Amino acid sequence: MARLHVVIPALVHTFIRSKTEYPGAMVLGWLSQFAAYGSMYTAISLILARFGSLGGWVWPEIALLLSFHLLAYSLGASLSFVQFREMEEKVRIGTMDAILVKPVSTWTYIVFSGLNIGYAGHIVLALGLMAWSLTQVDVTWTGQSSLLFVCYLISAAMIIAAVMTMIGATALVWVKSNHLYQIFFGFWELARYPLNIFPLPLQLLMLTFAPLAFMAYVPVAATLGKPVPLLGDYASAAALLAGPLVTLIAMAHWRWCLRNYQGAGG
Amino acid sequence: MAIISAQGVEKTFRQPKRQSGLAGAIRSLFSRDYTEVRAVNGISFTIQPGEAVGYLGPNGAGKSTMIKMMTGILVPTAGTLSVLGREPHSNRITNAAEIGVVFGQRSQLWWDLPVRDSFDLNRHIYDIPTPRFAENLTRLTTMLDMGGYIDRPVRQLSLGQRMRAEIAMALLHDPKILFLDEPTIGLDVVAKDVVRKFLAEVNRERGTTIILTTHDLVDIEEICPRLIMVDDGKLLFDGELKHLRSALGSRRRLKLEFGTDPGPITLKTAHLVTDEGAAKHFLLDSEQTSILDVLTELGSGHDLKDVKLEEPDIEEVIRTFYKNKVQAGVAP
Ligand SMILES: Nc1ncnc2c1ncn2[C@@H]1O[C@H](COP(=O)(O)OP(=O)(O)OP(=O)(O)O)[C@@H](O)[C@H]1O
Ligand SMILES: [Mg+2]
Repeated sequence: MARLHVVIPALVHTFIRSKTEYPGAMVLGWLSQFAAYGSMYTAISLILARFGSLGGWVWPEIALLLSFHLLAYSLGASLSFVQFREMEEKVRIGTMDAILVKPVSTWTYIVFSGLNIGYAGHIVLALGLMAWSLTQVDVTWTGQSSLLFVCYLISAAMIIAAVMTMIGATALVWVKSNHLYQIFFGFWELARYPLNIFPLPLQLLMLTFAPLAFMAYVPVAATLGKPVPLLGDYASAAALLAGPLVTLIAMAHWRWCLRNYQGAGG
Repeated sequence: MAIISAQGVEKTFRQPKRQSGLAGAIRSLFSRDYTEVRAVNGISFTIQPGEAVGYLGPNGAGKSTMIKMMTGILVPTAGTLSVLGREPHSNRITNAAEIGVVFGQRSQLWWDLPVRDSFDLNRHIYDIPTPRFAENLTRLTTMLDMGGYIDRPVRQLSLGQRMRAEIAMALLHDPKILFLDEPTIGLDVVAKDVVRKFLAEVNRERGTTIILTTHDLVDIEEICPRLIMVDDGKLLFDGELKHLRSALGSRRRLKLEFGTDPGPITLKTAHLVTDEGAAKHFLLDSEQTSILDVLTELGSGHDLKDVKLEEPDIEEVIRTFYKNKVQAGVAP
């Protein structure tokens, strides 16, 4: 699609216009997210202050892990979560049919006609915590390692958007798919902690079928030079490749679901 | 070159068999047991550029399914389908730029925004040059009398106003084909009339090919010279509305009233169904037979008082037809 540079801003503009009717609700949403994550992180820091470390990670390192987790999640989810959670509804009431007859890529249309600006609170908190933790951890930053860190972040955000897309796409064939998000968020919560504290089967699962270890733990461990179970020296390369790989799988799944879309009758 | 061509198109929906209870629900997740619904069953037709075709059939006949296949939303299970020379599903996005689609039962407008904003977004999505967009917008707004509400949020509009906006939106990019799935559903008489006149004019003046599904024969009378009738996924009739009656096997009745009972009468042009002595009822076997033919055959010498020809109402014909659900194809 050659005209995406025109269509995407137009979609985002239209979507934001349709939301700004309720500015109060939006600001309140940001504040409550900020408070929810802030208090949870405070609790984790207090626990760590008592026990010293978690799986060999001290508080500033855990803070980097938490902020990376939240930032990658917010970036990926703003492109996907609400849009694809509504997929069930889109299929059921037929909005999906209307989107399918537009001359732009269906994925692009869905993503940018619902770009979630509600994640601003998450992003501010994550950036603040990350800025602080980066000054505390023992890493020597070079141009190359900074670039690598940004690439890890992009790869991690891709995993989130790809997995959300796959779950949403499933609604095209099964009509119902929202229960899968609950499974996703189960693993997502575990992905906030160092992987090595979990039993081996769970470690394996989170490095393969539920690849959320790559959304924070693997790249942050690689940055900090910490040993990564099962991956060892390949941690850095795996963190970089995981996003593109999961994205490719998601694209194939998305196409398959579109081919097998049945609509919802009527 | 046909603009749309369907050859033996089929669509079968598969749904996993529902089993009761929790154990059943879990079992059905893994089972390969499906209920199959054949929504479209071997439909063939071709449509030339500039035609206006009405697609008629009872609930569940497979009309929406056919529209969804022609617009590339659904993939046919079998048969070949070509729209604008391309296979619709694999060329969905390319074709989308050259077709317009209106779903009577669902809106494509942005609910919280003025109508104008949805139009403007379409200008970008369809890459419509600004002068052409301005010209089309003015023309469509005038023709559909939308000036009074184009700047109002869609959620405040009446169904009739919204439907006019939906149709206008589908035409802003000058599509070659306009598909409409029940565009007049739920509209009042006046609104229906506006929509029908408008569509007929778009077809006539701009040469836009129109395919619309409907339950309302008046839509077809006023917009579509050609009718395709389907039932149970099969094609029943393809031709002009006025030929439908004979195709469905419904014949005109002729009543002859005599001053005195002329005794038994047998005719080649019509056959007797009820004989009440002085009043005799005949059925005309062919659409081509005129009253004059019958009277000529009858000849003079009878004390004929009155002649009455009863054309069965087409709605009535279709209603009885749906009731009887004759399965055999009766396409002429
Ligand atoms: N997604 C689906 N899954 C299963 N069956 C479906 C699906 N969509 C349609 N059907 C079935 O296919 C048949 C044809 O449906 P379709 O919606 O095409 O009918 P229709 O002619 O548009 O009817 P109506 O006049 O009620 O709109 C129906 O029996 C319907 O139940
Ligand atoms: Mg329908």
